[in-house]
Amino acid sequence: MTKPRIGFAGLSHLGICSGVAAAARGFDVLGFHPDPALIEHLDRGDLPIVEPDLDRLFVEHRSRLSFAADPAALRVCDIVYLSYDVPTDDKGESDLAPVRALIAEIGPHLAPHALLVILCQVPPGFTRSLPFDADRLYYQVETLIFGRAVERALKPERIIVGAPRSGEPLPAALQQFLAAFECPILPMRYESAELCKISINLCLVASVSVANTLADLSDRLGADWAEIAPALRLDQRIGRFAYLKPGLGISGGNLERDLVSVCRMADRLGGEAGVVRGFIADSAYRKNWLLRAVHEALPQRIAARLGVLGLAYKEDTASTKNSPSLALIGALGEIAVAAYDPVVRLTDRPSAGFVQVVDLDEACRDADAVILATPWAEFRGLDPARLKALMRGRTIIDPYAMLDGGAFEAAGFFYRTLGRPSAVRTEHP
Amino acid sequence: MIEHHPGAKPPERVVILGAKGFVAGASAARLACAGVPVLALGRADLDLVAPGADKALASQLRPADALLFVSAKAPCKTPDLLMENLAMAHAVAAALAVSPVAHLVYISSDAVYGEGETLVRETSPTMPTSLHGLMHVAREGLLRFGTKLPLAILRPSLLYGAADPHNGYGPNQFRRLAAEGKPITLFGEGEEQRDHVLIDDVAEIVYRVLVQRSTGVLNIATGRSLSFRAVAELARGVSEIVGTPRRNPISHRHFDITACLQAFPDFTYRAIEAGLPDRSGG
Repeated sequence: MTKPRIGFAGLSHLGICSGVAAAARGFDVLGFHPDPALIEHLDRGDLPIVEPDLDRLFVEHRSRLSFAADPAALRVCDIVYLSYDVPTDDKGESDLAPVRALIAEIGPHLAPHALLVILCQVPPGFTRSLPFDADRLYYQVETLIFGRAVERALKPERIIVGAPRSGEPLPAALQQFLAAFECPILPMRYESAELCKISINLCLVASVSVANTLADLSDRLGADWAEIAPALRLDQRIGRFAYLKPGLGISGGNLERDLVSVCRMADRLGGEAGVVRGFIADSAYRKNWLLRAVHEALPQRIAARLGVLGLAYKEDTASTKNSPSLALIGALGEIAVAAYDPVVRLTDRPSAGFVQVVDLDEACRDADAVILATPWAEFRGLDPARLKALMRGRTIIDPYAMLDGGAFEAAGFFYRTLGRPSAVRTEHP
Repeated sequence: MIEHHPGAKPPERVVILGAKGFVAGASAARLACAGVPVLALGRADLDLVAPGADKALASQLRPADALLFVSAKAPCKTPDLLMENLAMAHAVAAALAVSPVAHLVYISSDAVYGEGETLVRETSPTMPTSLHGLMHVAREGLLRFGTKLPLAILRPSLLYGAADPHNGYGPNQFRRLAAEGKPITLFGEGEEQRDHVLIDDVAEIVYRVLVQRSTGVLNIATGRSLSFRAVAELARGVSEIVGTPRRNPISHRHFDITACLQAFPDFTYRAIEAGLPDRSGG
């Protein structure tokens, strides 16, 4: 049986990573996107996104990858994934118009036998509502994680497929393609699969919200969340991969979208979603932890100079969607901020006192406080001696515990992190 | 929760309703210090519950004024007082309908929040558990829906300062008792935690809101709550602190002041350790 040829329509983050993963699994891949400029970039190997291992895999499997800005090129594909990341606004609401437009654009060009698989982030009920032959229409849960997108696409834990009906085998071509990923395949009806994706994300949010709440209390009580979390991981009901690392709320857009979707569904269907609204409120509170920490550490902050390390919402990505770093900087007004990020380059200044520098040391130079706002690996190399030589002040705000807090405190720094108390400061404004 | 008016300048004049009060007096002093003209109207100048109060107030207002509405018959503990306070707000709204101003600032209270709200922020539901809180909620609504003017609602927590005319349970009373060498008596062991704000900081926030013609809701609280016993310890001098049998369950109130930090990045509340010793002796 010949291998099916796979199309990816919509070459945003999801489409590019999924397409490269499919090529790496040995399939010929055609990527379609209506923007000729993007296709030109991709043809040159100039990738518009940052993900670990993506550049290497792209080069390695380049011979199986082709790109087109003409939807007619999709006619050669046996399976076409709709892989455009659904944009969200600042309230987490999805804009599905681009997805519908893309379906309308490619639909007439697909081969009569071709399967259309919705891979993008859509609400329950969306797939069945599409004006497309249901026997050729499937939905597949994407589990993209920014910063681990290639790894997740290449080696999924399981593949969840939404089908028009329960209990029927998947089409042979789809079965063959998915089998190449060597993981369990879970077919279910469209609505179950669509809600399954949201269910996964909400369980993650629940876990991280609990961790944030208890890490905060650890700080206030004099406990250390880093000592507690390993005990939880050994509980089989919680698990060793549970999201227990405290952070600065929910960012990136995808989890926020699902939280909003559940509230909308509950509102429409008469369900109780108070706990989900609680997650949303909790996330908003955590997001401003940096601002509160700066306020507490530097009461006279108007004269302060802050070094902010990291602008992305998390490491290994250029995305700044709902980034806590930008939430902080945006609230600092004219306070001087020198920010460094390994990949993010801002075109607009988020505050009057903001400058972006291209060197980590430059961000720290003469700073009263250094804030490690994104856990990029390269920040781990900072040690007290280096920062003492660079900084004017002695305050380190390190929510993700990238640094050895004890070493910094021993060196005379005020060190603030999530989940454990700082050495007491007795001064008052 | 509060937005500044881009390019706003200090108001041409601020009309203050409630000139003799604690907040009004401190706000007037802060504005005068900045050279902002103030017309302070006390009850002797304008009785807001008197017939024709709306017309009398309207005749005093100019379009470029900012109106700082502080006046209230407080604490509002009876239904009659509630209705009088609402009549005052009704007169103000009626005056503004005839003589609108550029900016309206209403001094409300954190009593608008329910007692069950232990981490209060501006988005917390307003579910008052007292007539005083109900009065402020109703007045806020009356001004919000009864006028179409740019409106800022400020909700202070517990205030302290030397000029406080009240002698309620808290820093002012403790300091005065300590100054007289009398014992400080606590409810229970003084376990309840509250957020105490120095009056100077309230005046500073009011001033900034007026200058930036801000609109929306903002709590005025330091973000740091202390038990009454801790406050008594700060104020005690050589006085004894005496606990009493507890009659009511312990309740706490804390504030999330993120909105204030975002609104005024360079502003810092004074900690009670710094604000109490020289300021509230009375």
